[in-house]
Amino acid sequence: MNAYGLAPLLLLFPALGVLFNGLVGRRFVEADARVGERWSGWVASLMAISSFVVAVLLFLTLQANEFHAMVVPIMDWISIPAANFYVPWAIRVDTLSVTMMLVVTGVGSLIHIYAIGYMHGDPNFSRFFTYFNLFIFFMLILVSGSTYLVLFVGWEGVGLCSFLLISFWFDRTNAAGKAMNADAGRKAFIVNRVGDFGMILALFLMFWTFRSLEFGTVFETAVEMFHSNHVVEFGLFSAPIGVVITAITALFLLGATGKSAQIPLYVWLPDAMAGPTPVSALIHAATMVTSGIYLIVRSNVLFELARESGPVIFGVISSPDLVALIGASTGLLAGLIAFTQFDIKKVLAYSTVSQLGFMIAAAGMGAYVAAMFHLVTHAFFKALLFLGSGSVIHGMEHGHHLHAHGHGDHHEDVFDPQDMRTMGGLRHKMPTTFWTYLIGALALSGIPPLAGFWSKDEILAHGNEHAILVYVVLALAAVCTAFYMGRQLHLTFFGEPRHEAAEHAHESPRLMTVPLMALAVLAVAGGFLNLPYLTASLAEANGNHPAGIFLGLESWLEHSITAFELSKEGIIHLPHTPIVLSPLVAGISTLLALLALGGAFYVYRNKPETAVDPDPLQKLKPLWWFRILPFETFYMKFVVPPFNRLADWLAFAVDWNFWHDFVHNNIIRDMFVSFATFLADVFDKFGVDGTVNGIGSVTKGLAGVIRRTQTGFARTYALGVFLGAVALLAYFLWVIF
Amino acid sequence: MPEVTIDWYIALSVILFTIGSLGVLLRRNAIIIFMSVEMMLNSANLAFVAFARHLGDLDGQVLVFFVITVAAAEVAVGLALIVAIFRTKKTINIDDMNLLKG
Repeated sequence: MNAYGLAPLLLLFPALGVLFNGLVGRRFVEADARVGERWSGWVASLMAISSFVVAVLLFLTLQANEFHAMVVPIMDWISIPAANFYVPWAIRVDTLSVTMMLVVTGVGSLIHIYAIGYMHGDPNFSRFFTYFNLFIFFMLILVSGSTYLVLFVGWEGVGLCSFLLISFWFDRTNAAGKAMNADAGRKAFIVNRVGDFGMILALFLMFWTFRSLEFGTVFETAVEMFHSNHVVEFGLFSAPIGVVITAITALFLLGATGKSAQIPLYVWLPDAMAGPTPVSALIHAATMVTSGIYLIVRSNVLFELARESGPVIFGVISSPDLVALIGASTGLLAGLIAFTQFDIKKVLAYSTVSQLGFMIAAAGMGAYVAAMFHLVTHAFFKALLFLGSGSVIHGMEHGHHLHAHGHGDHHEDVFDPQDMRTMGGLRHKMPTTFWTYLIGALALSGIPPLAGFWSKDEILAHGNEHAILVYVVLALAAVCTAFYMGRQLHLTFFGEPRHEAAEHAHESPRLMTVPLMALAVLAVAGGFLNLPYLTASLAEANGNHPAGIFLGLESWLEHSITAFELSKEGIIHLPHTPIVLSPLVAGISTLLALLALGGAFYVYRNKPETAVDPDPLQKLKPLWWFRILPFETFYMKFVVPPFNRLADWLAFAVDWNFWHDFVHNNIIRDMFVSFATFLADVFDKFGVDGTVNGIGSVTKGLAGVIRRTQTGFARTYALGVFLGAVALLAYFLWVIF
Repeated sequence: MPEVTIDWYIALSVILFTIGSLGVLLRRNAIIIFMSVEMMLNSANLAFVAFARHLGDLDGQVLVFFVITVAAAEVAVGLALIVAIFRTKKTINIDDMNLLKG
């Protein structure tokens, strides 16, 4: 079977969905909300599902063709022969990109279907699905591009969709009248600009050094240059290739910290929860925020070369080590902040930041497969948790609605359906949501045999073996994970309802619970994608390079992630060592997770009793510093005010006073006025008017002279004719004789 | 009786032409002017015929027929104009027709 040629369809379907919903969807919904929503939502979902089918076909094609990577061209995008600069728009079909395609379209399809139920009744129903399909389109461009520039197009495109969807309810204001949703969208966009600045610098540097942006060419050239100790010339100075590759990878890390919400740029992701919950699930948990990990895994050759270059950054650390350190510290910090959150989605947001830290740390340690494995399982269970929280919020809102109308009085107090303190006891009201949520929470906490256990443990085992510091930090982060999930489970689903809304909450419609159940199955079974013993024994039984059989992510991704070592003789490709579960590490983390979950249930066993009771954890003052201390405060105190002052100065002193008043008024306007005055008073008056009037008066004067010949006596004219004839005759006679 | 030579015809033609042109230049009555023009045409016709006879070439005689034809047409148009002018101005004095005076 060979379906490589179908790859462009992957992009076509979501693009068609965008056209449908963007052009006619609104009219459908306005004409008849019930039928229109069905059309709008299902067309968008079908487009996502169609892309998923294409991704599955590509998966089968890779299996049937011995995992042979193929670049399917779509068109020539940029070609500047003078600079030897060619960027084709082509789709790279290899095991890594197909893994991402399957996650994006598979989880994406489920969330599309869920969103039909969740967004029901929203006046901008079709706009939502336009953006949703547009996101799928750009995300697929990101993961399928065969060059860094196409990847960057997708990178910016998903950033745009993220902005549009965070501020989807841009007209909503909070109690103080601030447009929080629009602000959150802007914040995400601006913070991501910082990361994108790193990305674009990395691309410039990459093109300058390797004269190409195509993945394969860049990697080959990089390895060759590295082996021949190439020195890169920058005109005024030069740098050894190791330093340049370190710089490129460090700039990629800056890009990844922006998109994947790592220290120091993670601050946008918690605010991004202002968007509709399906958006949080798809974009801000399962797919878009993992692009940073995809970028690092895709650039694994460069990161491995940077590792070989040694501690180049300030002479203390190499860039992959920096990646691992940033990932691990983000994992722990975000885990600690999650303790102090009351908003059900904010807990999940910080949890996402923390889990992305795990993946980044894994990629930094060189455990690329583990990073991808955790990316996939995380997409399953975190999407499940977000959709579950959406279902809870949906239930709470309806409960509040029912209650308020049941009593016939309007609640003047502001009710926040996302505040966990107002929930409690929801396990009886929303059983499906509860059970699926429980599965997601246990998977996230790392309880075997759920998905999260296997992937998280692979990262921990790798850390234990290669980077003990990273292992310790991540193990602590894993404890935090289990604890805050226990806290959230207890506050939301156990105990007694602490608000009338929770009392009257009811289960969400089938359209929402079915995707929950599907994702719950994936969250349970996701770990089997890469079971350590199974994979190892199957691989052994089928030879080291089994073709045509899916034997787990390890041997599947082996075909995209190069394992190699540089020696004096050249590049030696290393066979992948199948990951083996470390019973000690697994035992410790399972024990810790169970203890933390139990601890959380113990701490919250009967508190808080009402919605206004303090949190038992509030006794632990230092913990609450994390709520206020980290980067957010730093930015608001030390980055934003100077920036605002600079902007003020630029706006008023430079732009207004100097540019507008001085340059515009005094120089440009005055020059223009004097030139115009010259044109009006001199050129027009004397030049143009003079010419025209001159022609007029000359004609008039001549006419005054010539008119005298017209005497009005016909006989005078006859005399003229006679004399003329005589003169002509005289002339002829004179000529002849 | 002296022989009538070509010179006699030419002299008569010159005399007629002179009388005609003086009539055109000096008289004021439009009809008289018209008749003078006819006289000039016929003096030319006479010269044509005389020279044709003298040179033994029929071309001149043929041309006279054309002149007569054109003169007839001219008379028709001219007389019509004079009648029209008389109807509006009640005069055919050529000096009173000076509307296009500069």
